[in-house]
Amino acid sequence: MKAPLQPWPIVSRTIAAVLGGYLFTYCCTAALARLLPLAKSDAVVVATLIAFIIYTVVILWAFGCRSAWRAWAVLALAAPLAVIGFWPQLMELLG
Amino acid sequence: MKQKTVTQSMSWLHTWCGLLLGWVLFAIFLTGTLAVFDKEISWWMQPELTDQAQSPAAAANVAQRWLMARHADESNWNISLPTERSPDLGVSVGERRRGGGGTHLDPLTGEPIEARETIGGNFFFHFHYTLHMPRLLGVWVVGFAAMAMLVALISGIVIHKKIFKEFFTFRPAKGQRSWLDGHNASAVLLLPFHLMITYTGLVIFFLIYMPAAVDALYDGDRQAYFRDAQPARAAEQSQREQQAPQGGQAARGEQSGRGEQASRGEGRSKPVASPSAPLLPLGEIVSRAEKHYGAGMIGGLAVSNPGRANAEVTARPVLGNRMELTKGEGMVFNGVTGELIRAPEPSRTSQLTQRVMAGLHFAQFGGYPMRWLYFICGLVSCAMIATGLVLYTVKQRKQTKANQAFLRFVESTNVAIVAGLSLACVALLWSNRLLPAELASRQDWELRLFFGIWALSWLHAWVRKPLSAWREQLSGAAVLALTLPVLDLMTTNTSLDGIRLPVLASVFAMGLLAGWTAWKIPTIVAARKARQPRLDRPVPGVSS
Repeated sequence: MKAPLQPWPIVSRTIAAVLGGYLFTYCCTAALARLLPLAKSDAVVVATLIAFIIYTVVILWAFGCRSAWRAWAVLALAAPLAVIGFWPQLMELLG
Repeated sequence: MKQKTVTQSMSWLHTWCGLLLGWVLFAIFLTGTLAVFDKEISWWMQPELTDQAQSPAAAANVAQRWLMARHADESNWNISLPTERSPDLGVSVGERRRGGGGTHLDPLTGEPIEARETIGGNFFFHFHYTLHMPRLLGVWVVGFAAMAMLVALISGIVIHKKIFKEFFTFRPAKGQRSWLDGHNASAVLLLPFHLMITYTGLVIFFLIYMPAAVDALYDGDRQAYFRDAQPARAAEQSQREQQAPQGGQAARGEQSGRGEQASRGEGRSKPVASPSAPLLPLGEIVSRAEKHYGAGMIGGLAVSNPGRANAEVTARPVLGNRMELTKGEGMVFNGVTGELIRAPEPSRTSQLTQRVMAGLHFAQFGGYPMRWLYFICGLVSCAMIATGLVLYTVKQRKQTKANQAFLRFVESTNVAIVAGLSLACVALLWSNRLLPAELASRQDWELRLFFGIWALSWLHAWVRKPLSAWREQLSGAAVLALTLPVLDLMTTNTSLDGIRLPVLASVFAMGLLAGWTAWKIPTIVAARKARQPRLDRPVPGVSS
């Protein structure tokens, strides 16, 4: 295993995977819980149980994709997911 | 990391994720494997207690007589009943959610028994999910490590192309090849177990790790979710909290302080005392609860307002009464008439799913055969992590460009984590027998010895050459484990029962394993030297 010469791409990817991936998973879980056609308390459990699988896949993708930029690009998807997940709270906030 | 194939980047990820978190993971897996037998280890660590083979119902009556004579005016009694795994009768008074343990009673005569204070097998259980850090921080660190384990497992599968063929491949005594084969075999052989135990470990604290769904649907109010999912139990709990507000807080705040076994005199603030009425024999209530849960499945009783007309008795099952993990559930009976007030509410399907997963991790179901299965699988997981850690150093040493200082750090940390922690665990058992039984704050001394010896193993691994450090620490652990039965015979005069004897035998067997490994190391090195005679630059402190 060769040690990578430049540390920055690695650091960037690691942050994208661990923190960015968590943020993405968080938004994804919230959206999923909102969209699942289940009772509220069931949707919570189902969405949260899937969350760990989503997080694992996102981490693997962040390290497997071709460039660190792509790893960060996933985060762009997090915003619309957050809007879906927190729609009522957002409406309340906007008045 | 530019323009690599997916396999290469996954291989990189597997190496670094496995190495950096592998140390934490080994500690988690080793203590988790030991925690499979936590109650048995606790029983061994209190040799003053003896198995009187008393039935739980009769023991409940014994406890009732003792409590009636001494604590008739208390508003809460807790009794932990003798079970198959822990034939100990414990009583305490005051608000304690987790059941008794304050005073040990002889289940036949009701005489109090002075048992030594010990952190017990419980220590391994708590270390397994908190690493002895503050609870919430520890839970997060362990959760992070568990995610790393999942990532390492999946990336390991990706880089492992010939998964089926290599399962049958083992080339012993061939240096790096053997370590790789050992790592692969232990990983592939029990891959379903590794995946299951890691995922279900995350599922136990799922709402702590990922609060997104509760945040979105319940505005982050976990109690609101709880009320929605389990209305009856939530109502019961809020009712109990109203009855004894300070007591409830004390019980919750106590989670961080371990082993505070002093009886608490709170809960005297009951507003109006009910008229007095005789309490039904508790054995009768145990028998009724056993009809629901099965014989021997009642772990404890909680009595509120004993001797009053509004007395209530909650019978709590042991955890392993079924696969689903239902902590804190119980059947509530009227303490005077014995009629059933509340039966446990069956879980919703979604909750049942989560609780069965948690139950799969806790391994409380299925009795001793299942426990042994989990124990052996856990040992294989430990072996997989340990061989992976060693494999890194074996590979690195061949690279001329390898960073020697980092390699040295990795090698000594490997020794301290794998051999040093095993040594510290056996030393904990030794300290339990060697420390005087009546020592004040004895549990703290056990902890100090455990962490002290682990710290020394770190120092030793740093000072000695890696190979010698491996051999010496493994030999040390082996000697301590193999001589534990002798120490036990010399320091205690209790007869070995059906719980303590298997504990000793298992420790002895693990000692043989450690001794065999320590004995094998020189042969492996000799074989390697024979294979590579042209190594012109002798690296200081090589090991295999």
